[in-house]
Amino acid sequence: MSQEYLLEMSGIEKAFPGVKALSDASLRVKSGEIHGLIGENGAGKSTLMKILLGDYTRDAGEIIYKGEKICFSSPRQAKEKGICMIPQEINMVSTADLAENVWLGREHQFATLGLINKAKRLEATRKLFKQLKIELDPKSLAVELSVAQLQLLALARAVSYEADIIIMDEPTSSLSESEVKGLFKIMEDLINQGKSIIFISHKLDEMFTICSHITILRDGYYISNHKTTEITKDELITKIAGREIKNLYPVRNHTLGKTVLEVKDLSQTGTFQNISFSVKEGEILSLYGLVGAGRSEIMCGVFGIDEIDGGEIRIEGKPIKIKSPKAAIRSGLAMVTEDRLSTGIIGNQSVLENVSLVNLYKICNKFKFVKNRQEREDVNRIVEELDVKIASLHQVMSSLSGGNQQKAILGKWLLTKPKILILDEPTRGIDVGSKAEIHKMIANLAEEGMAVIMISSELSEALGMSDRIVVIREGKITGEFAREELDSEIIINHAFGYID
Amino acid sequence: MEEKIKQKKHTKNEIANFLLNNKALLLLFVALITCTAISENFLSLNNIRNVLRQNAASCILGLGFTCILSAGNIDLSVGYMTGMLGVIAALIDTRTSIPFGITVLIVLGAGVFCGFVNGLIGMTIKMPMFIITLATGQFFRGVCYVISNNTPVTGVSDSMKFLGQGYVGVVPAPVILMVITGVAIYIILNKSIVGRWAVAMGGNAEAARISGINISRITIVVYVLLGLCCSLASLILTGRAVSAQPTAGAGMEMDAIAAVVIGGTSMSGGKAKVIGTFFGVMLVGVLNNVLNLLGIDSNYQYMVKGIMIIVAVTLDSCAQKYFDNQLKKAVK
Repeated sequence: MSQEYLLEMSGIEKAFPGVKALSDASLRVKSGEIHGLIGENGAGKSTLMKILLGDYTRDAGEIIYKGEKICFSSPRQAKEKGICMIPQEINMVSTADLAENVWLGREHQFATLGLINKAKRLEATRKLFKQLKIELDPKSLAVELSVAQLQLLALARAVSYEADIIIMDEPTSSLSESEVKGLFKIMEDLINQGKSIIFISHKLDEMFTICSHITILRDGYYISNHKTTEITKDELITKIAGREIKNLYPVRNHTLGKTVLEVKDLSQTGTFQNISFSVKEGEILSLYGLVGAGRSEIMCGVFGIDEIDGGEIRIEGKPIKIKSPKAAIRSGLAMVTEDRLSTGIIGNQSVLENVSLVNLYKICNKFKFVKNRQEREDVNRIVEELDVKIASLHQVMSSLSGGNQQKAILGKWLLTKPKILILDEPTRGIDVGSKAEIHKMIANLAEEGMAVIMISSELSEALGMSDRIVVIREGKITGEFAREELDSEIIINHAFGYID
Repeated sequence: MEEKIKQKKHTKNEIANFLLNNKALLLLFVALITCTAISENFLSLNNIRNVLRQNAASCILGLGFTCILSAGNIDLSVGYMTGMLGVIAALIDTRTSIPFGITVLIVLGAGVFCGFVNGLIGMTIKMPMFIITLATGQFFRGVCYVISNNTPVTGVSDSMKFLGQGYVGVVPAPVILMVITGVAIYIILNKSIVGRWAVAMGGNAEAARISGINISRITIVVYVLLGLCCSLASLILTGRAVSAQPTAGAGMEMDAIAAVVIGGTSMSGGKAKVIGTFFGVMLVGVLNNVLNLLGIDSNYQYMVKGIMIIVAVTLDSCAQKYFDNQLKKAVK
């Protein structure tokens, strides 16, 4: 029992159906320190925190908090014991005032006979804000607050739970430099009062500014932890990226054809600017970057899902205006979207109805009736080719596993025989087995001459699959690399913003 | 021995599956048996014919609603639209010398136009169709009162009367119209590409749009289909009552929605059970009929309707749980 650590998580394992999110994760935090937790998307940071808070139950491993072995069954329990999290998307009741928001759910301490003494609650809130040196008026409404101020409000709420550990998930992603400085000052005051903060972020510079220690996770494993004074940014990046590219990716012999898609100076006000790239037949181009960089938005603009404000698109040399997904499809484009549940599948319809949908207009007779037999044959064929595991074509789509749903959606688009296939995070949230299958399929499609654009947040996937990688950060292209130039560290640098 | 047990379970499953997928049929079957038992006058050709005839107009509205609901939309203007169309039909029929065939075409055209307007407004102003059709409904109501001067339009022609009360052989004319409409809607929703697009849109509008479906166009199409159904229903109602009441049709949309829900078309879209709508309408019709035969106050019929909806929806969620359990067992 090491008394020097306030919190000790060791050997944490967690598996979900088909995915091992954590294989051996650890984290050790002392009291009165700001401890950074860093790793790529999918490294396991959120899973580890959710286990700590009691959102998930761990499969193996130990958590010792304040000298005692613990296992929380709910975030509420965790809060009562002093561990609190401020999520990336802060939830506040926008129409309520700040005092109400801070004490939401704990009004009974201000209540007599079921009526809330609002003055008492306001006073408690004022005291709290004063203690934290937060200059906000407790009577103002949450909806009037800026993002930075909402962070402070969330922090105050966490402190009001008398939390000893506060987890902050990407708190500075929407903050300006001065707002970040303000937030950091308040965080420093907090740790001077003996509290600890676990700081999750992708922003390396900030990590080095505010954290005293950093723990690195990669692919569900604990890699190492360091005092920020004892490691350089370069070394940190090396450890985040890892040197080896896994040999899980298909080897490709490819001859590239003519340029089939050209995008020039594409922009959407507020989201992305001056995006230019091109793709050839048989080529796999990856758009790599952090979540929120704007990659999905760019491809949604190309595919006609959202409007673009400027720029040109050429397909096989011909300029074309894509005003809707229908137009995109007729021009030879296909897009497997990021969120298959909300924009990919029609959950309560059958596999047959889902997979035939895009190509339906091509298999009608002269009365605009669908040729049912051809529909069944087409869908059967593609389901077999892609090895989608179903009991029958009439099975309801929502009953398929994630990996099979993704394969089915891919099948839906392949039936249209597209020239250009756009895949937005094609293997997110999918078991390792299906992942490898999908990678192989994508490689085969490219071999057969399809141009593939793949959006990925997993560096190893981008490195293993692509002929070229375009790195996107905050809506702009910060680098483009061909296969020979591929180097994981340089790419991470560009994505994290270390080199500009 | 195990094989035989497995086979037996298999058929038991299949029967259960069929019944639960067609619960309206099941309920109707139960109702028919019950009614035959409690009233000796129930199972006569005349009575059954009456039930079909009296519910034909509601059924046609229900068929229109099947299109709308399976496409993920709603239309609250149906009742007033039907009333207005009936008044238009009667006015043309009684006050002008336009041949009846042309009158029918004009009324159908008016229904198409009203549906088109509903759909167009919905696609131009991005407000929920609930609100928009609430508004257009009031508008139709106003038009109806204005052009009828708040009085029933009486003295319709024999041709109109035929549509509501006539027979073709032994089959009442409204029933023929109902069957034709039913077959047409079934074909549209299940076989034509427009219908497939509409139902897909109901299941997940954004996924449908990304799959290349023109959401605006298809939405307008379903509202036009419903408008057409309103026209047909209004002709039958006017013929049956031999007059057009300005208040006719008010509240009919609720009955139609109830029938569609009982029939198994999901209110959230994605599935269209045309035959279920027929069973749903007939179920309520049969129960109301037997109450009449037994001399029970007609006001109880509303309570019957309410109970039927709850029974149907409860059966629906039980069926859902059953199917989910089957799925869990299969995956294991």
